[in-house]
Amino acid sequence: MEVMISAIPPAAGAGTACAPAAVLSTVLDADTEAGTGTDAWQATATDVPWVVIVWNDPVNLMSYVSYVFQSYFGYSEAKANKLMLEVHQLGKSVVASGSREKAEQDTVAMHSYGLWATCQKAE
Amino acid sequence: MARAFKNTRKGITGHLELAERELIRRLFEDIIAMLEPANAAAEDPLAAMVGLDPHAVRPEDSALLRLLPDAVRGDDDAALEFRRLTERSLREEKLAALRASTLLLEHSRLQLNDDQARLFARAVNDVRLVLADRLDIKTDEDAQALHDIDDWSQAEDLDTYLALVYNFLTWLQEALMQALLDGLGRTREA
Repeated sequence: MEVMISAIPPAAGAGTACAPAAVLSTVLDADTEAGTGTDAWQATATDVPWVVIVWNDPVNLMSYVSYVFQSYFGYSEAKANKLMLEVHQLGKSVVASGSREKAEQDTVAMHSYGLWATCQKAE
Repeated sequence: MARAFKNTRKGITGHLELAERELIRRLFEDIIAMLEPANAAAEDPLAAMVGLDPHAVRPEDSALLRLLPDAVRGDDDAALEFRRLTERSLREEKLAALRASTLLLEHSRLQLNDDQARLFARAVNDVRLVLADRLDIKTDEDAQALHDIDDWSQAEDLDTYLALVYNFLTWLQEALMQALLDGLGRTREA
């Protein structure tokens, strides 16, 4: 499903912790290119870096998590495995950072793969 | 008996017996039924079209919550707002992967391109997440405790049966992931 997200007004209540700055129905397309088509009103939210955190769970296979990090984020095998082991051994790992919109897209993408992810402002 | 997936020149190939395919198909259909909106007829068609669900609430079923988790920790209001803007699309995406994967189970010999293999891995993973919730797998130790249950003649109660199914799908997904990872490695070398 492709939706022109630029046609949708920004969510009300900007400024709350993680209220989406954008409607994220284009997550399916996020594999190919980051954050296109919303330039008109995203600038205000992009100054503060946001992070995507993946949390450990006993179900997702290490091979699967590493594959998702490699194929979705384009990370090297070494980087993907390092992040995967952080999740597994430390309970969580910051796997990506960037604009709020990108962090939100990545979080939903992780959910689409069944990984347990949250997003927040970088500390 | 199933044969594990391999990455070959013809794509990712594997073999599943009829009973195995029927089992996986039924599981996919169960998850599809979980994810389909309960009140589709009453929805605002415009909101549905753009992927919004202004009435979405945090799922009460813990398995469904694992498929559609909160994206924000420690702020229920923000998590709910995020859910209302994104959950519908996430459901649709998962449903699409599950439905496409059901169609891949027509024949005992599976021959998948990378896109199909990725969809199939996601669908199987969602089934495993739900089974793990039903089996109350909360820690790595819980998962390990079930790991050795592999004798189908011992499937006398529901939990043992679910554990057998869970372990079968884990084995299947692990083989699929190794085949997909082999493909990534080859792409890098080329």
